[in-house]
Amino acid sequence: MKKLGILGINNRIGRYILPLNKRKNYPLVDNKVKTALRAQAWGIAMPENYLVIENNGDLKNLASQLSQQKSFVVKPANGSQGNGILVIIEVIRDANDKLVFKRSNGRIMSLGDIKHHISGILSGLYSLSGSNDIAIIQQKIEIHPVFEDYCFGGIPDVRVIVINGFPVMSMVRLPTRSSDGKANLHQGAIGAGIRINDGTTQNAVIKNRVVFEHPDTHKDIRGLVIPDWREVLDLSARCFDMVELGYIGVDIVITPHDGPILLELNARPGLAIQIANQAGLLPRLEKISHQAPRGLNARERVDYSIANF
Amino acid sequence: MRKFTALIVAFFIIAPLGILFYKNSSLKLSLLPHKVDDTWNLHISVKPKDPTETSVSFPLPRQGEGIRVSDERIKSKGFETIIDRNDDSVMMTWMSNEPIEKKVSYSARIDIIPLKIENLKKDFTTEYPRGMTRYLKIPELSEEDDEGLKLLEQAIYEGNEDKTLIARKAFYYVSEEIQRNFKYRTLGDALNIGRGTPLVKARMFAYMMRRKNIPTRILVISKLPEKDEKSDGRLFFTFINEIFLNNRWIPVNTNLGTFGELSDGFLVFHRHYEEIEPMISKKKLVYNIKVNRAVLNKFNREDFRKEVIKKSAFFGSISLHRMPLPVQTVFSTILLIPLGALVLCVARNLLGVPTFGMFTPILLTVFFKETSLFFGLSFFLVVVLIGIAERYLLDKFRLLAIPRMSIILTLVIILLMVVAITGVAEFFGSSHIGYFPIVIVTVFIERFSIMLTEDGMLNTMKTLLGTLVIAVLTFLIYSIEAIEMLVFTNPELLFVVVAFLILIGKYKGYRLSELIRFRNLVMQMKSKK
Repeated sequence: MKKLGILGINNRIGRYILPLNKRKNYPLVDNKVKTALRAQAWGIAMPENYLVIENNGDLKNLASQLSQQKSFVVKPANGSQGNGILVIIEVIRDANDKLVFKRSNGRIMSLGDIKHHISGILSGLYSLSGSNDIAIIQQKIEIHPVFEDYCFGGIPDVRVIVINGFPVMSMVRLPTRSSDGKANLHQGAIGAGIRINDGTTQNAVIKNRVVFEHPDTHKDIRGLVIPDWREVLDLSARCFDMVELGYIGVDIVITPHDGPILLELNARPGLAIQIANQAGLLPRLEKISHQAPRGLNARERVDYSIANF
Repeated sequence: MRKFTALIVAFFIIAPLGILFYKNSSLKLSLLPHKVDDTWNLHISVKPKDPTETSVSFPLPRQGEGIRVSDERIKSKGFETIIDRNDDSVMMTWMSNEPIEKKVSYSARIDIIPLKIENLKKDFTTEYPRGMTRYLKIPELSEEDDEGLKLLEQAIYEGNEDKTLIARKAFYYVSEEIQRNFKYRTLGDALNIGRGTPLVKARMFAYMMRRKNIPTRILVISKLPEKDEKSDGRLFFTFINEIFLNNRWIPVNTNLGTFGELSDGFLVFHRHYEEIEPMISKKKLVYNIKVNRAVLNKFNREDFRKEVIKKSAFFGSISLHRMPLPVQTVFSTILLIPLGALVLCVARNLLGVPTFGMFTPILLTVFFKETSLFFGLSFFLVVVLIGIAERYLLDKFRLLAIPRMSIILTLVIILLMVVAITGVAEFFGSSHIGYFPIVIVTVFIERFSIMLTEDGMLNTMKTLLGTLVIAVLTFLIYSIEAIEMLVFTNPELLFVVVAFLILIGKYKGYRLSELIRFRNLVMQMKSKK
């Protein structure tokens, strides 16, 4: 396996994450509120945060605040792997003039259900450390038309692994019915590797199995071109400068009108990206560590990546 | 690996092993306490021969040097029982208003440690305390027997010996020259023909000793079955002596020919046969004594403790064996935690076994150790079921997270009450239930039920299995008593554990689970090439 260049967890942590990622910068990445503040300072676009809820008392006026939105997403600030995320695609007033909320899977939730979910987030049910957390009510991004035939029940996101500011590998995660509309590989979403030099998909897998077409839409997944690819890479490279972590996973979502925006950052990106690309990370990591020139700015680093991967 | 790390690891392995080696070879301290070979289950049943008798008495083994008696059970329904205990022996009497028709019984667990007295010095004592008088009394002898003994004494003694030497000489004579023979039952037979029953030999020795003013007594004992001996476990009485030299009682066995030692193959029932002779004669009662071996291979911590303190002031002062017993018990449990951590690290970092939380498996192992494996697992699984059920039921109430977890905690306590009331725990083999494992179990339940909703039943079950396997494996390893004893006796070995943990911490290779996870990828990549 080592000859094929596949990266294992122990190696990832020992040789790359521990040396490259300074622990003190982790909160910038683990806590979405902090990431949002940083991104604002650096001029990097992220989904708009409508509301930040820090304690149960803030829930009193939730109804009036939510009624102003047509759709939104509820997220734990310190969550991981998509846990605790609630996507509301429609805010409706029912026959009794009560606010109800339609989820991406079609189910209806009441205001009480939403409040209950949020207080669960606040108690730390979904947070990485298990301690109290903050809930974020965020703008729901619409799906880019290019992806409509490739997704079921939710929007896709593009993950780029960035080493010392150089994008080295990428994949797009396409939601399916079995993943319940979430772009979560563990739950059954498609992982399609994207070639760095031209932004087209080549291989696709669902949980380690190679697939060629989407199980729900039956569209052939190979050959899909990611719109605004260069901008995606530039954005991911700039994230390195923003948080100063040498090994990160950048999750980007492509909006219909505003191009790619940053969704979230990951200090411990998973290794399934290798399976989605049918290639090992090691050779690319080694290349960056030993051969890539130092002191380049974001654009120059992207040029290097395009030329080499 | 960097030089510094290699150095530290090497030091942590070599230094403790070095200390171990020093203790073992220079100080001659054994690595582990010695094993107590023999624990016996004893059962005595007695009935008076005369069917109109309303009371019956019998000697019982007495706790003391070389014998530990525990778990005594006396069948005494309908009887009044009197226990007559003095310094050396115990006599039990069952009394009833009506004639005793059925047998009365007694059972106990007996641990025997062999006794050996070395360096017997000369004894020139002349005066003895009043309590010794009964051990110096010689009964009326016939003229013939008295003459016979006088002649014997003239033959073997020179007249200038100290008491220890006198005893030895008499012992040699009785054990070597008098042949054991169950037909010859009188002192006269022994003196004139040179044959006698064990009782006769014991009496002869006793009289010879007392005539020389050495307090001596006759012991009622039984020989226990040998390890490979095929026997039904039935015991019969035989007799040996004890003589009082240099202020202590020395066992003397004229049948086996041992002076100053009593092996762990003998069980002492009474130390002054002459006192109870009429009560336990075959004319008076019918008795049946049975033994069978109980627990084998138990470690003898008590003696080891003394050995450690005796052989080295330094190691004696820092040994865990010195601690009071409750502290020792606590340590023998918590010392499994580093071991459990090692197993956990191997399982997670080398194999890739998933677990709930970082240390849940270790805490589960402690729970199993405090109760029992069977009870611990069953209880744990019931709690898991409660957790699953709770998640689905309580969802409707839409409670805040912390009160909800508190409800689970309360349910677990109620479960424990049910266990205690129905006595099920005893059935499973646990004696008490610790406090903190309950909290562990509750915290675990919440994580478990979240994972259930987020990641689905399959992944959750895999993680549950991983957690349980590691917990049970650690438990099994630690139940090997030798391992627990080894670490308890030589805690410096914990540094060796640290060394291995450093090595695992540096390991950058693949986990076993990754070899499985990526095997499709490997196949595809290879085929492309």
